[in-house]
Amino acid sequence: MADVATIIRLPEVMANATEAVIASWVAAEGSEVSVGDVLAEIETEKAVVEMNAEEAGVLAKHLVPAGSLVQVGAPVALLLSSADESYELAALLGEEAAQAQEPPAGSAPQPTAAVEAPAAAGEQAEGPAEGARSRVFASPIARKLAREAGVPVERLQGSGPGGRIVRRDVERYLAEAPAPSATPSRPAPPVTAAAPAGAQAELEPLSPMRRAIARRLTESKQQVPHFYLVAEPRVDALLAARAQANADPSRRKLSVNDFVLKAVAAAFRAVPEANVAWSEEGIRRFSGVDVAVAVATEGGGLLTPVVRGVDRLSVTEVGAAVADLAARAREGRLRQDELEGGTTTVSNLGMFGTREFSAILNPPQATILAVGAAVPSPVVVDGRLEVGTTMRCTLSADHRAVDGALAARWLAAFVEAVENPVVALL
Amino acid sequence: MPQVTPLQAQAPWVEVSTTPEDWAAADPTLLATMLGQMQLIRAFEELVLQLAREGLVHGPAHSSIGQEGGAVGSVLALGPSDGVNGTHRGHHQFLAKAIAYVAPTLDLQALVTEELREVLRKTLAEILGLAEGFGKGRGGSMHLQWMEAGALGTNAIVGGGVPLAAGNAWAQKHAGTQDVTVTYFGDGASNIGSVLESMNLTAAWDLPLCFFIENNLYAVSTHVAEVTGDHRLSARGPGFGIPAWRVDGMDPLAVYLASQEAVGHMRAGKGPTVVEAEVYRYFHQNGPFPGSAFGYRSKEEEAAWRERDPISRVEREMVARGLLDEEAVAAVRKQAVDAMAEVAAAMIEADPEGKPGTRRIKPDAWPDPAFVDVGVRGDGSELEGLRAEEQETFSGELVEKRFIDVVAGVMHRRMETDPSVVVLGEDVHRLAGGTNGATKGLKDAFPERILGTPISENAFAGLGGGMALDGRFKPVVEFMYPDFLWVAADQIFNQVAKARHMFGGENKVPFVLRSKVATGTGYGSQHSMDPAGIYATAPGLRIVAPATPFDYVGLMNAALALEDPVVVLEHVDLYASTGPAPAEDYDYIIELGKAAVRRQGEDLTILTYLSMVAHSLEAVEQTGVDAEVVDLRWLDRASVDWDTIGESIRKTNNVLVVEQGAIGTSYGGWLSDEIQRRFFDWLDQPVQRVHGGEASPSISKVLERAAHARTEEVVAGIQRVVEGFGG
Repeated sequence: MADVATIIRLPEVMANATEAVIASWVAAEGSEVSVGDVLAEIETEKAVVEMNAEEAGVLAKHLVPAGSLVQVGAPVALLLSSADESYELAALLGEEAAQAQEPPAGSAPQPTAAVEAPAAAGEQAEGPAEGARSRVFASPIARKLAREAGVPVERLQGSGPGGRIVRRDVERYLAEAPAPSATPSRPAPPVTAAAPAGAQAELEPLSPMRRAIARRLTESKQQVPHFYLVAEPRVDALLAARAQANADPSRRKLSVNDFVLKAVAAAFRAVPEANVAWSEEGIRRFSGVDVAVAVATEGGGLLTPVVRGVDRLSVTEVGAAVADLAARAREGRLRQDELEGGTTTVSNLGMFGTREFSAILNPPQATILAVGAAVPSPVVVDGRLEVGTTMRCTLSADHRAVDGALAARWLAAFVEAVENPVVALL
Repeated sequence: MPQVTPLQAQAPWVEVSTTPEDWAAADPTLLATMLGQMQLIRAFEELVLQLAREGLVHGPAHSSIGQEGGAVGSVLALGPSDGVNGTHRGHHQFLAKAIAYVAPTLDLQALVTEELREVLRKTLAEILGLAEGFGKGRGGSMHLQWMEAGALGTNAIVGGGVPLAAGNAWAQKHAGTQDVTVTYFGDGASNIGSVLESMNLTAAWDLPLCFFIENNLYAVSTHVAEVTGDHRLSARGPGFGIPAWRVDGMDPLAVYLASQEAVGHMRAGKGPTVVEAEVYRYFHQNGPFPGSAFGYRSKEEEAAWRERDPISRVEREMVARGLLDEEAVAAVRKQAVDAMAEVAAAMIEADPEGKPGTRRIKPDAWPDPAFVDVGVRGDGSELEGLRAEEQETFSGELVEKRFIDVVAGVMHRRMETDPSVVVLGEDVHRLAGGTNGATKGLKDAFPERILGTPISENAFAGLGGGMALDGRFKPVVEFMYPDFLWVAADQIFNQVAKARHMFGGENKVPFVLRSKVATGTGYGSQHSMDPAGIYATAPGLRIVAPATPFDYVGLMNAALALEDPVVVLEHVDLYASTGPAPAEDYDYIIELGKAAVRRQGEDLTILTYLSMVAHSLEAVEQTGVDAEVVDLRWLDRASVDWDTIGESIRKTNNVLVVEQGAIGTSYGGWLSDEIQRRFFDWLDQPVQRVHGGEASPSISKVLERAAHARTEEVVAGIQRVVEGFGG
């Protein structure tokens, strides 16, 4: 049972997330909950996850409404041991705040002392006393810049008077940190209220996921030196193998993409020098092949769940894993760990009939393969023109980690694997 | 034993009273008009007191009931283009002038014409604060103005309207007319400086102004004999060289005859006059109760004065001459009372939510609350079509000139092209261009329009205000030192700065005030302020602060072209400086509300003006900080250049407001407040400021230097900002 009254706080739902949106309250105020019951759905930049009850009791009160952006660790709900308990919310919250602020023994004077100090006319205002209060002091423009860059000010070190976080601190952080963004995730509203001429537009608020996509892809396209290689393997053999496998009604149907993933793994096995990622510290070399698969979600989102150890899985296993991840991605039910890592990504728009496209790298990965539709095409075999089925694939590579020749060798290995699926499946 | 020779004042002082022969000889039309006016005014004021009793008059209702003979007797000696103004007790003066304007003579058989009814309606509406009023409900009982009729505006500051009337008289005289102005005030105002300064000034300049003292014996509850040596207040006239008439104000014909003499004297160009009419208000200072109810006088005294009622007097005399019978007398009164009931019905109705019998203002008669700040100043459209220049893009010839020579030069040019420009101030006509040479050569070129004034800042500033309101002349008033604004504060802040808004928003007030800023000249605590911050508190004033000779030309031309009062600040440090100035062209303006970026920079925005522009630029060079220096040029709230300021702040995120003077009267306070509200999200630290010390600068050179800001203080200010950069 819960203590008489327990404050439930926003759990750290994913690494590096300092805030998340309470997407919806599943457990209504006043409802009894058992351990493990879903209390709320929490939307982070990448996923919608469930917040479960860690103790049984009565969910007495939602402290924030659904839709609120909440800092990790902030109180979100009040749990009582039974509905009969009375409580003083302010006292409960105040008690916690007081504990949090308790100064180390022998330190700071009474907080009133600073306020009482008389200020002569024209004297400079006192800067915030360091450690005297828990709030973060940041200048308005620093807050604005940090907000636009999606950086919580708590993460910044202040160098201004009294430790105030100032513009230069944000700028330095953005210049040095690995995850800065040149693109505002939430642009400031235009100063003038006048609507531009032309088509009417409605402003749709940005979801955390949309912000993350915008930030990460802008950053990637602006900061990672992309280059592109195109190949057009014949897939007649691959399609034949797939048809043969899918002829057995007792088996799960395989997709072309499942074979592509296996071919990608085979290519990395053949050219392991390409299985790398760039970092400031050095080139990271991977031993296995974890392939992220781009999945479009309802409402226009984009997730990249990762299929681990594709090089060690059978094509059937790969197919099952992708189907499971994709389904849960669309429902927003992925776990955070399923979204992390990945040594490369495959993005397939073939099912939409797209002939050819190039993809933006998903940092820190050094490669992404954009796969188009398999279509009948003229092919030349032994000097004769015939009709075959081909599938244009474009490899985007990070030139910092992968040079042109290496990428070309990898792409040749991939083509080899696609055109000889039996080899790939070995 | 010394020899003692009795002296006589140069000007005569006489008492005028009527004889039976005067009444017998009086024009019947004059008497009818006198009676009709007084009955209309009394019925009007009785209605006002009735409405006050019902709680429908917001603020005071200063009635003149009992005093009508003074105003009516004197106004009937005037013509339509003569002017009058008055004080807080001015319903009767205003109505007498307005009625005489629409109906120079009255027909007692048909007293109230449609035109007259409209005058009564608009006057009552004004007193009730309604949209239809002469001042759109802004002014109320104490600010009644109808310029067209020569009713120049009554005034709630005792004696405050007198210098303005002097300005009107100056304009009448110098426009070549024989028109005159009458300024009404009471025994209380006879003791205030504005009145006495104006007596002196108008006498010195032979202005056609009648100081009409309605001596009703009580300033609120204080008897005249308690507060002055000779309660016969007209005695003051001869002391200033002004002829004076004393007359029984309860005898309207005596007032008329005395006023005729006074007006004749003024029309003949012989200068001002004093007329003192002893009158009596039956009621207290304010409201519907007699003075005796407040214990400062007796019921017997009031009864004795009522026996001498001016209306009854005229009625008796007219009946005695067979001009009216008792029935007709009653009919005149009834016409006036009925007309007022009808006028009231236009704006007052039974209160549907009140007790039976209670009334209220008709809801649609009130002004729209959105009108509250409309017409604080003009819209600046008077500058449209004038050529604006900037030094950087100026195509004419530029030569190096001394700042002070440009000050005199542009004024010379304007006085040459515009015969309405008049310069007045202390010593502006002597010393080769005043104390600093700002009016050099002007007295020789324009002897009639360069006026050396007595040391009476309140009177001559107000005189300029009266000229501006008249509109035929553009006064350029000079304050020799900035701190003198406190001496003239009533005229500058209560009168000139409010004159447009207070009377409904349509008065043009083309008034230029040149104020020297003399910080650092060793003149000490009472001569060394920077007045910009104080002027900036008055929304009706525009303020320009030229930092270069080129800008001085354009800003002075803009100031002279604007129909708002404009303060032109001139720093003595700049007078001696030289800079590029137009060789010939003194005919351009600087665009209204346009600041100048004197140095582009990325890290800090310095907002400054006047001599501190150069100090700031110097400090920036010394520190090496990449600061943007903005010369504000236009300092008042309405004209300040938020576009330029905003653009700079959004770039630099740091602001330093730089000024020279003491913090208490400083300019930067309101600016900083406005900046943090407009640009909060763009600031990287609090708005920082450079200003002088707390106290006014002292005489001692060392203490004076320590009291105000120059380059060194700007350097320190920039360093403070740099600390705030962090990093």
